[in-house]
Parts: sequence; C-alpha cells; structure tokens
Amino acid sequence: MSSNQRWGGPMTPARNRPRGNLGWLKVAVLVMFAVLAAQLFRMQIVDGAEYAQRAEENHITQQTTLAARGTIVDRNGEPLVENTPAYAATIVPDLLPSNPDKRRAIYLELERITGTPALEIASRVSAQEADGRGFIEISVALHLTLEQALKLSEASTDMPGVRLDVSPGRYYPAGIEFAHILGFIGDQTAEEYAVLRGQGYALDEPVGKAGIEAAYESELRGQRGIVQAEQNAQGDLIRALGSREPVPGNGVRLAIDAGLQRYIYELLETNLKGDATNPDAKVAAAVVMDAQSGKLLALVSYPGYDNNVFPVTADKEAEYKALLDDPRKPLLNQALTPSAPGSTFKLVTSSAALQNGTLTPDVSRTINSTILEIKGDNGQIYPFYDWRAHGTINLYDAIAWSSNIYMYMASCGIPGEYRGLGKDDETSGAILGYYARQFGFGAPTGIDIGGDAAGVVPSPEWKARVHANDNPEDRLWYYADTCFMGIGQGDVLATPLQVARMTAAVANGGKLLTPKVADAIIDGDGSVVRTIEPEWTLVDVSDKNLAAVREGMHRSVIYGAGLKASQPGVDIAGKTGTAEFFTEDGKFQHAWFTGYAPFDNPRIVVTVYFDFGIGGEKAAPLAGQIFQYMWEEGLSDGSP
Amino acid sequence: MAALNARGGQNLFKGWDRFDYLIPVVALALVLFGLILIHSGSSRVYEGPLLSFANPVTKQAVFAVIGVGLMVGFARLDYHYLTHYSWLFYAVGIFALIAILAFGHTAFGSTRWFNVGPIQIQPSEFAKLAVILMLANYFSEHGGDARELRSLLMSLAIVVPPLLLVFIQPDLGTSVMFGSVWLGVVLIAGVNRRHIMIIAAGSIALFPFVWTFAVADYQIERIGVLIDPQSDPLDAGYNVIQSQNAVGSGGLFGKGFMQGEQTQLNFLKVPTKDFIFSVLGEEFGFSGAMVMFALFILLLWRGVRAAQLAGDVAGQLVAAGIVILILMQAFINIAVNVSLFPVTGIPLPFVSQGGSSLVTVFISLGILESIIMRHRAYRQF
Repeated sequence: MSSNQRWGGPMTPARNRPRGNLGWLKVAVLVMFAVLAAQLFRMQIVDGAEYAQRAEENHITQQTTLAARGTIVDRNGEPLVENTPAYAATIVPDLLPSNPDKRRAIYLELERITGTPALEIASRVSAQEADGRGFIEISVALHLTLEQALKLSEASTDMPGVRLDVSPGRYYPAGIEFAHILGFIGDQTAEEYAVLRGQGYALDEPVGKAGIEAAYESELRGQRGIVQAEQNAQGDLIRALGSREPVPGNGVRLAIDAGLQRYIYELLETNLKGDATNPDAKVAAAVVMDAQSGKLLALVSYPGYDNNVFPVTADKEAEYKALLDDPRKPLLNQALTPSAPGSTFKLVTSSAALQNGTLTPDVSRTINSTILEIKGDNGQIYPFYDWRAHGTINLYDAIAWSSNIYMYMASCGIPGEYRGLGKDDETSGAILGYYARQFGFGAPTGIDIGGDAAGVVPSPEWKARVHANDNPEDRLWYYADTCFMGIGQGDVLATPLQVARMTAAVANGGKLLTPKVADAIIDGDGSVVRTIEPEWTLVDVSDKNLAAVREGMHRSVIYGAGLKASQPGVDIAGKTGTAEFFTEDGKFQHAWFTGYAPFDNPRIVVTVYFDFGIGGEKAAPLAGQIFQYMWEEGLSDGSP
Repeated sequence: MAALNARGGQNLFKGWDRFDYLIPVVALALVLFGLILIHSGSSRVYEGPLLSFANPVTKQAVFAVIGVGLMVGFARLDYHYLTHYSWLFYAVGIFALIAILAFGHTAFGSTRWFNVGPIQIQPSEFAKLAVILMLANYFSEHGGDARELRSLLMSLAIVVPPLLLVFIQPDLGTSVMFGSVWLGVVLIAGVNRRHIMIIAAGSIALFPFVWTFAVADYQIERIGVLIDPQSDPLDAGYNVIQSQNAVGSGGLFGKGFMQGEQTQLNFLKVPTKDFIFSVLGEEFGFSGAMVMFALFILLLWRGVRAAQLAGDVAGQLVAAGIVILILMQAFINIAVNVSLFPVTGIPLPFVSQGGSSLVTVFISLGILESIIMRHRAYRQF
C-alpha cells in the first residue's frame, strides 16, 4: 500500500510492523478471572452457609427479658427461696457528658454511692472508649444493697449515661439449716458461659452454682422472653420480627420436711453446745431417709451457714472470709463427707459372711477376754481388742452388742482356728470389699444435689495402688487389713448418707436406693408437673440373710449397745458405731448411730454422726429423739 | 462518498464496516448491570424521583450516554492524532495530578478529585490513558520495540512521575494500575527479559524502603486487616468483614434484587462504587457474578483482537494498554471485594458509579474501535 492510502493521521517518521505476542494477554485474562471465580466459589458455595449466618447475626438484634426463676418449697409447700431484684450500676460511655470535669463529678458520685473507686470507673470507661465500643453498657458495681440502689436511682437522673440495672436475684429466707440443700445462684464464669451459651444462656443470666439451684437449673431457669428486631448498621431498629413472652421456671418441691430439718439442726446444736464430756465435738450430720423410696426427709449438716452470703460482694467479704476461716468448715456438707464408719459397717460384714456361706446366725463364739492375741508370721504377738468380754454369743448378739472379736472371726478368721470370708487374707479382703460396694460404699450415692464424696473401700489392689510409691511392705494386704475393715476401721471411709443408704437396703430387703432431696417438679400453682421417681439397684444379699442382720439391729436397741435410742411407741432397730481415729493429739472416736423403724415394716431410716463421741452414748439418743419427733408429727409414713 | 485526504489522495477509509459492534454492546450490558446495582445500593440513601440528576442511577445513565458519544467521536478520530499529541495529554495529566494535591477534594483520607460544579473530576482516570498513549508513541517512534535498555529506561521515566503522584495522594490501587500498564506494554513491546529481571530485582531491593517511608499507615493497616479482619472489626477491618458477609451470604443465586440485608441495611460502605461487586455477590450470587465475568472476558477478548489486528506498533501497544487497564481495574476491584487484595479505591469499569471512570473507559473503547477500523490502512509489511 502506498502512503496516499492512509486516511487521517498526521505524518510520522516511521511505522513499524507490530510484532507483539498477544497470546499471553489472553492467558492473563482467563487466569485472573479464574482466580476470582475460585475465590468466589470458596466464599459463596463452600463457606456460604457460615457467611449467611454471620450476615444474619449482623442485622438481627435480640433483646431478652429474663424469666422468673422457679421456686423451691419443702414437702408441705413452705417456700424456701424468694426472688428478689439484684441491683447494679451501669454506664454507657457514649452517653456520658464530654466535659471531663462533669465526668469526674459523676465518677465521684458513683464512688460515694457504690464504693467502686472513681479511678477504676474512669479507667474502665476510657478503655471501653479506646476500643471504639463506647455504645456498649458496662457494669461498674454489681449487687448493690437496696439502700444503695435507691440512692443511685435518685441520683442517676442527674447523671446522664448512668443507669440502675435491675436483674433477678435470689433470697433464702428459710434459715441456715437449708444452705447445703438449696445451694445458691451466681454470675456465670467464663468457663460456664462457654458451655451455657450453647444452651441459649445470656452472659448476664444468673445460674445455679450448688445444691438444688444447680441440680435442677434446667427446671428452675424457665425460658427467656425474646424480642427480635432487624437493625441497620447504625443500630436503628427497622422492624420487629417477632417476640416471645418469658416463661417462668418450674418449681421444685423437696422431700425435705422443713420442720424436721430445723428440729434436727437444733437438736444437734443443743447437744454439741451442752456436751461437757465431748468438748472436742464440733460438727455433726444427720440423714433421714424414706426406707422404701430413698427420698430424704432431712439432710442436716452442722454447722450450717447463711447462703445469702452469695454472691460475695464487698459488704459480705468479711462474712465469707469468716466462713472460710472457720475450722469447722461450715461450707462443707458433713452428711456428704466421708469418715470411718466404725461399727455401723458390721452390718456389711455380717451380711457378707452370711451370704458368703461362711457364717450362720446361730454360730456362737466364746469371747471371754477383751483381747484377742494373734501370733504373726514373724512370731510376734499382735493384740486385737474388743470393748468388753461378751461371753458366748451368736451373730444376733454380736450385732446387738457390737462385738469386735466376733466380727474379726467372721471377716478375717483366726489363723489355725476359724476360717475367714476367703481362703486367704487377700481373698477375705476382696470378698468383704465386694459386699461393701454392693451396699454402695466406695462410690458416690448419686444424690440429686450432687457433691457427695465416694469414700473408700479398701481392697488388695486398692492398697497396692495408693501405696505404689511407699515401701513394698506397705503395699501388701495383711490379715489385719481385713480384720480392721470388718469393724469399719482401718482404711474404710463412708459418708453419713452412704451409711443411711446401706441401712435402708438392709431394712427394705436389699434395694440400694438413690437418695433424692427433690420429690417433684411443680408449676407456678403448685401442681405436680412430674414426680421424681425412686431409683435403686438390688444388693447381692438375700432377704433371709438381711433378716438375720435386722434381728441383730432390733436386739441392739431393745437391750444392746443401741439401747439409748429406744423410744416408747416406736419399734426401732439400729446399730451404733464408735470409730477410732488418731490425730497428733492422740486417739479419738466418731460417734455413729444408724437405724430404722418400724422394725417389722421399715419406713424411716435415721443416721446420726458426730465427729467426736461414743455412738451408743452420743448418737443413739438423738436418733431416738428424731424418731420420736417424727412419730409425734405424723411423719412416720415417710412418703408425703 | 469518496473524499480526499489531507494530501489530496483518495480516501479509501471503509472504517465503519469494520467497527466492532460487539464492544459497545457488551460494554452497555455491563453498564446496565451497573445501573441495577447502583439502584439497589443507593435506594436507602436516595429516595427522590427516578429522573433527576441527583439520582445516582440517572446520573450514571447520563454519563453512559456521554461516554457512548465520546466513543463514537474517538472511533472516528485517527488514533495517531492521539499518539502524536500524547506528550500534551501527558503534560496536562501530570499538571492536574500536581494541582490536585494542592486544591483537590479529600475523602476517606485521600485526595483524588476536583469539584467542578456538581461534577467531580478525577484526573488520574485520564492520566492512565495519557500514559498508555505516551508509551505507545515512544516505542513506535524509537525502533518499535523495547529491546534497548535505553528505550526501557525512557519508558520507565514516562510512567514513574504519575505513579508517584498518585501514590502520594495516597492511592495505592492506581499506582499499581500504572505499574501494571507499563509492565504489560513493555512485555508486548518485546522487552529484553534480562532487563526486566534487573528492574524487578531493583524493585524488590527498594521495597523495604518504600514500605517504611512511603506507604501510608492506613495502607499497612488495610493489608493487615485483609489477613485478619477480626483484628480490628469496627475500624479498618469493617469494610472487609462486611463485604465478606455480603458476598459469602449470597450463595449460588443470591438473595434477589433489593433483598440483600448487608446492602439494604447500610452495612456495606460505598455500595455503589468500590464495593458494588459485593452488592452483586449478595443479591445475585455466584451465578450473577459468572454472568458479569463472562461479559468482561468477552469484552477483553475483543480488545485483544483489536491489538492483534492493529496495523502498526502504536496501535497495537495502545490497544494492549487499554486491555490491560480494563483488566487490572476489574481484577483489583473484584479482588478487594472477595478479600484477595487490600481495600483500595479502584472502580469496577463500566459498573461502578462514577462519571470520570465511565467516560474514560468509553473513550478507551473508542480508541480501540479507531485502531480496528484503521488496521488495514496502516498495515505494515
């Protein structure tokens, strides 16, 4: 082509033939859009649901109203808790005046009313503002007293940004006798919230921390009311999406009889304070159980405490510290705390020997000395003591008089004379351990309020395990281990509740019941929503053999070691226990009594424990008084 | 209809026969897409009558009409006029970029445009075209390629001043745009690989200094929040999180026109401009995005075709530069919306609300048409 074919264009010195390779440009176009498409695929298709969820949360706002927490009443309907408002002082930093002097005046006024230092308030407000979250409300003082709340409510009208926040709280009017049973509620910890948020809890929702409050949390809580609305990026509500009224929580009716609980508490307290012979006795526990259902009519731990101390606020810190410093450990539930069960354990030893076939009730032993001397393998003589020379006695009287030597013979035997439960020391120990476990020792009882200890049932394996780091000879199971276990000494540990449960199993013919403090779930009108059903497992001991044990218990109260439990008009069977234990100051004894009534139709089990004292002297009379009270008050029937 | 050209020769121009109609059709399809999205993105802000210049949709449509007019005008004009006078456009562009630093309007921490009455003019948009023309002209006049180191360095000298001027606005995205256009053009112009390697190595060596002394804090922050948007959810990470939520929640088919909560409840910032693609992602989903991608790929394909047809070096380099410009703008804008690139104010060509951008891309299309229409006339053998 010649130059005159060119159209337009100014003259340029030279035109060059284009030679660029444009293929890669096409590749670049495709690759770049492929990268974008891949990322879009990942976001919209692979992770789409997650982003959709986030977008949803972004623009849906929920305002919640906490539901009224369910009530807790005793078996007669006496209310044991009250719902009261809990007050807190809150600040929305964005609503505070911007003038620093005015702000400082507000902080000082808040310090005057609530006691929270003004400097702390100031630093929390500025931290919140520095995070760009000044629109979010912060609590500067929680759990205000009514007086503080009234002052704040009055003063807050002059303090823009400050508000009195009211949320549901709990007051326990029933008295310190009920603290361990009822427990308390409190603010969620971070760990609790991590779990509870999955169940729809809000962070500001109080939650049961112990006792019935914690165990029946899901019933008591109710359902929060929710108002759901759509909001825009500025936080303006665009339209309401729906709402749900709060549903009050269900109540819990306890099997506990408040009058009985208070009566026993007072009985224990009077006894402890008025006992000159046992000045060391400081703590006590008593369990009253329905022998057929496992429902607890009383569960007393002395000393009690005022559970209104929770939540521990500034004004209650001294009270709480005093509780922690008290050597009697009032926060501990003594009924669920293990100690040596002493002779009450002979009920287990007797049942084991009978069921094992190595003993019949009529087997008589002659015990003419309080010392049984056993020659050890090393030739040394070991003395085994009884509390008196019983003469010739059978099993019934061995239980009635609580003979140690008879029980040695039944459990560990006498080398060369009587065989024990098994062919050797270890087998005897293992067999006794098996029956102890059958009766619920060595494991938590499963009581509905939780918090109970397992106690200890020793066995050859157990001993080898816990002494794994000690001398080799300490790991071995000896003859004496079985003997001491047979009388509830040595390494055996059991809680008063476990002893009561064992007693109920002996009494009712072998049902090992799960103890229940709660009797029923009720609605706001008090009508029953659902009854808490009894639960049990069967003990591997025949009723015939248990009947022999019951006979021994009956004789104990009629003429034996438990005589002081006897009451006119109540046919009681029982077993005393005096468990020796040693401290730096010497030898001491726990006092036990466990029994049931009526003898021929077991309804009620009563177990009494003192940390110091002789079972037949200190615990038995109180158990008798408890039975007497119940029979007088028409509580002999057990179930409500 | 034969006319005589300037030198009295017979005008054999049959350009309009060669006019690529597909290019404006696809471009207008993208504009239409944009109008729909602008309507959705602005409905909460603008509630006036449809036909008002205050309505961003109407305003955008008016600019589209102007753009098409200019496209036809530039198609008719021999692109050699543009390359010949490219030094003039370039000088004006540089002057405008300097002037804007002194008198411009500041928004979002960056100074990018002049207010001329109701219209905002963003000179960097025109400067990009001027640089493409300048580069094409330079290589065309100096041996037709970039093999000589001297040519390459001269081309660098052309691109660096505007690049630095937008960088200090600060506008990281547009700087990247200048860099990409330069790299693309010199690659097409047959650069010596070794030279590129040396320049690349030099840039990497300079990078720490640039990072320390020249990159604004907000840019570092934006890069940081891209990696972990939750590190600063209410501030710098806000746009990243909200665009992720919008795009991600769109799913396969989207929530429907005007139904995206992220868009309609103002969670998305600048939903008609930088984040218009997020509106698309939320309301029309993956399938809507694929339709848009197809339109872009088709348009760019026609652009590459223009570069292939181009009768001379100047035409080819101009066409390739325009293709790279549109490609990179689209890529960076969408990459920001899908969290592959730090937040930067690059409009989505044809789609984002903004007159300067729209007019400039239509002018670019006009230049492409001019190249296509004259490729036979200027074919070099």
